[in-house]
Amino acid sequence: MKDLKHLYYFEKLLDDTYNDLARAAKEEGRYAIGHVCFQIPEPLLNLPGCFSVRLRAPRTGSIEMGTYYMSSTLCEACRAYLERAIEGGFNFLDCIIAPDACAQMNRCVENIERLDTNPNKDFFVTYSDVPMKSDETALKHYVKQMRVHVLEPLHEKLGVDISDEAMRAAVEQQNEVSRLLTAIGDYRKCDNPPITGYEFAVLCLASYCCPKDMIIDKLQDTLEEIKHREPNEKKARIRVVMVGSEIDDPEFIGLAEECGALVVADRYCFGSLPGRQVIELNDEEDVLTQICRTYLEWGKCPRFFNQDKIMERREYVDKLAKEYKADGLIYEQIKFCDYWGYERASAFHVMAEEYGYPVLSVDRPYAVRSSGQLRTRIQAFVERVEMKKISAKKQEGRIS
Amino acid sequence: MGKALGSEPLGKVIYSGKRPRRRREWRGFRDTWYDYTRWLYYLFTLGKFMMKPNNFKGFFRYRWMSNYLAVPDFMDRHTEGLRGTQLRLAHEAIGLIIIDMTISLTDMFRADPEIGNDVELSKKMVVFDENMMSTLMGGFPNLKWVSYEVPAIYTSSFMCQNGVMHYVDKTHEYGVPTDVCPMPAAEFGAALEDDFPLIGACAIQCNTTCDGSLMGGGLMARSMGIPTFQLASPIRHRQESVQEYAGEEVLNAIKFIEDHTGEKYDWDYLFSNMARFNEETKEFLEWLEINKSPYPQLLGATLGFYRYGVYMAAGGRSQIFLDTDKKITALATKAYQNKEMACKEYRHRAILWGVQAAYYTAFPNWLMNCWGILPINDMLCCVSTEMVSTTDKHQALLDLGHLYENMIMRNRSNGGYETGVEDLFRICEQMNVDMVIMYVHIGCKAMSGYHGLFEEEARKRGIHWIWVNHNLMVPLDGTRRDMRTEVNRYMRTILKEEPVDASLEEFDDSLCW
Repeated sequence: MKDLKHLYYFEKLLDDTYNDLARAAKEEGRYAIGHVCFQIPEPLLNLPGCFSVRLRAPRTGSIEMGTYYMSSTLCEACRAYLERAIEGGFNFLDCIIAPDACAQMNRCVENIERLDTNPNKDFFVTYSDVPMKSDETALKHYVKQMRVHVLEPLHEKLGVDISDEAMRAAVEQQNEVSRLLTAIGDYRKCDNPPITGYEFAVLCLASYCCPKDMIIDKLQDTLEEIKHREPNEKKARIRVVMVGSEIDDPEFIGLAEECGALVVADRYCFGSLPGRQVIELNDEEDVLTQICRTYLEWGKCPRFFNQDKIMERREYVDKLAKEYKADGLIYEQIKFCDYWGYERASAFHVMAEEYGYPVLSVDRPYAVRSSGQLRTRIQAFVERVEMKKISAKKQEGRIS
Repeated sequence: MGKALGSEPLGKVIYSGKRPRRRREWRGFRDTWYDYTRWLYYLFTLGKFMMKPNNFKGFFRYRWMSNYLAVPDFMDRHTEGLRGTQLRLAHEAIGLIIIDMTISLTDMFRADPEIGNDVELSKKMVVFDENMMSTLMGGFPNLKWVSYEVPAIYTSSFMCQNGVMHYVDKTHEYGVPTDVCPMPAAEFGAALEDDFPLIGACAIQCNTTCDGSLMGGGLMARSMGIPTFQLASPIRHRQESVQEYAGEEVLNAIKFIEDHTGEKYDWDYLFSNMARFNEETKEFLEWLEINKSPYPQLLGATLGFYRYGVYMAAGGRSQIFLDTDKKITALATKAYQNKEMACKEYRHRAILWGVQAAYYTAFPNWLMNCWGILPINDMLCCVSTEMVSTTDKHQALLDLGHLYENMIMRNRSNGGYETGVEDLFRICEQMNVDMVIMYVHIGCKAMSGYHGLFEEEARKRGIHWIWVNHNLMVPLDGTRRDMRTEVNRYMRTILKEEPVDASLEEFDDSLCW
């Protein structure tokens, strides 16, 4: 396929957390709000005068300092973020709004705060308690936490407008981005998609890391371009749903696709499923509750431990696999993640034995660019799924 | 060799490098006789336990039961080197836990469909997660709290150092990574192996200690075959804004139990139990006061085990615990007044922080006997000492919510820097200690995340900081000997000290229970 016109532009934006668009927004006098988890609804961090930046550590090399402060048995992403903070990579932030969602990311943010990595004297960090269930009691708690630990500090410390109107405007802005990404992402359902998983991951990731209003025009152009884009003549060997923990570097998706596994659905942290759908607001209920309810319903992190949510996660992956015509599932996790360690192991059995999907289960380092091991495993999986497809065809009598 | 503390080279006398001991420790006639009679009593208790047909069948049905053959040895390990009041305190406190355990196991096997099959009893049982407080059951006079993970996994691994490794292996075979905490891994492994009794009318699970524990519990629910409720206690538990939710979740759990057992919550019964619980807390505070003095009495494993039993398992529902509390206070007060020592020489006063190795719970005894390091307090004992309301239902709910936020271990692994780091140095000051023995439980991400901050803070305050690595229930990843070596190295190279008992510096206990 011909390269997407703006792909290089988006790729460059992902090369640095403090990218050109973040710099431009700061120059406009907007506040840069750092966040580390899906559990804090993004519209609350994109209120007028603010823009959210999901922390990442692109081009990570050594993580020695992060390892000293957090030990070698913690998630490499968390260590890399701390390393980047110590190096000064997050100095442009005005605050970090963190949930206490997983112990490791929480420790990462606490270290960023306690080590005084940010020289901005008004820099602050808040921690909120986000629910681990999705019932009405949890929703009430969630709303309260978002009010007390997100909205009020933003208003009191930065003077941000936290009215319902401001929240509606932020939701609408996010919806606009989500509509575009959904429209682009829907092309992945085609038999021979005019967009690769890697390209989509780049676009989607940019929406988490850049001021949203500043990428809309390029996303619109990209959508138009894809509508008329000629796909490759040769189809991918297999189609997969990528499920798992944070993938904040599209190179992993690229690596999978180089091995022949086209990633047609992105059910991972930083992905679009869920997270890049439209948030529907009504006029009956207060806006904050509606936003929180949406995020509670969207939440597919394994930290939700009520049985309904556990089942829902599996059903959701099954639904995606059917909708996007996937041949198999890749469950991945960054090494040392407790949540995904269990979820991945369990899914490996349940999704294969009860839902009938071929499943590849891998843990991986944070930076995967040169992982021959991962490449070999994905290649072997691709071959396995192909063999399965061939034997299915044989059984149907379509080939002899 | 005899009555005086430190009169025997324990390393030579007790440890031969083989599994069985060569002989019992000689502590002078009076203490040896007392210790021996208690030892016989445990043997008698086990014998009586095994005489019941259900228990006998249970012994052969469940692999983990074999660990309990080591109970007498377990007691020997935790009384090593002790004399006088210290010896009696250990037997009073830890001995009661053993007795309580046999009662709990007897009930479990009676209800177990594969053994006693007492359906009526099973219907009256509510299964709780391991590492979860039983306190809310204090309002159900007709129901029984049961936590089968405790005898199967938790205490099993105390009894025998390799006791639950089989289950950890099973979990790894299933595909769970080897870096997760071995405790939920072992529990999950036992569930995969069908090694838990299928009992109870319903179950309450909780986000107890860590992310791994939560995940293990969530997946295990499937194998329990009964309705389960997940009690989500707030993580950021020091914040005022979460307290209401904590109380509401307890209320939701109560309603769930009512719905699945047909029982009504009896608030008066709860209040009477909570009055007892409060009394127990007051006794505990007395012990801490004694421990602040130059003559601390409730030390190491004695304090740790007993606090777990009272705070987490008994939850104010058992008078025998309060009676024992009072007995302990009386003994400890008298010993303090008499300036009784717990070991031959007091060189350092230490806080044990982080999670102890389940396979080496007698490590604090070794610290005392080998190096004269006094384990003054333990992170697992630093839990809530707030009183629970005994008059106001709403306040009592909030107080219960607070307790569930502050369950052993979880109150330090969750809650942030204030609970994990700041509190430690506050406690160091309160308890007048000069050393921290920092357990590095390899699978525990919550405490490891503060590694650098711990060192910096300790350096600022001039506190000796000894890292001791272990892997909770997998001794192969950090043996008992490895743990001792880390202390030995620090004592010799940094502090330039000679051991109090040189025979304990280097010995082989890899084959011991």
